[in-house]
Amino acid sequence: MAINEPSDNLPLAEVLRAANGLVTAGLIDDWALGGALAAIYYVEPFTTYDADIFFIPKDKGLTAGIPTIYAHLQAQGWRVEREHLLVRGFPVQFLAASGLTEEAVREAEQIEYEGVAAKIFRAEHIVAIAASVGRAKDKARIEQLLQQADLDQSRLENILQRHNLKLPQP
Amino acid sequence: MKAEMRQKLAREPFAEKIRKVARLIRLAKTFPRRKRLTPAQPHGK
Repeated sequence: MAINEPSDNLPLAEVLRAANGLVTAGLIDDWALGGALAAIYYVEPFTTYDADIFFIPKDKGLTAGIPTIYAHLQAQGWRVEREHLLVRGFPVQFLAASGLTEEAVREAEQIEYEGVAAKIFRAEHIVAIAASVGRAKDKARIEQLLQQADLDQSRLENILQRHNLKLPQP
Repeated sequence: MKAEMRQKLAREPFAEKIRKVARLIRLAKTFPRRKRLTPAQPHGK
């Protein structure tokens, strides 16, 4: 199937393979799946319209090497639409990790998805990141993770304490 | 949905959950949410 033919399923394996390709090409140091799709690894499925790939840049400059990453993926048939790259019509955002998100990438869980090796944010980091952002949807995500995920409470408390974060009051 | 059912869905394999997300996206595109209507204004106002 050509890279931009729409597919019935989410082209997540292709997204993960492409992220691994960026490491192989020496464009990024490391990466992990974050955002809603990472949360779905731990909780019931819900609608989301994009994938967030957090990466540790090789290029420590202001652009974090994003133009080179975009050019690399466009050369493989990905399309650009505003801040997203599209694979089979599915939007993907590549976000340079720093601070808490960089820690989340470094400590991410190793998984395999449809034969592709990948890393995914740990539930405790997803909760902490949501607490740091604090929008209504982040509060809902925290609630869902607290109810449905097997959280490591001591890991969560440690992350929250080190990053000076508090969970929202119910 | 009952909490046990949601917990059961949360325990499904990731690949299965991703298939469900794809289905939810298709449904959302087929049946987009309508904007909430504001209460009808009385005639002449």
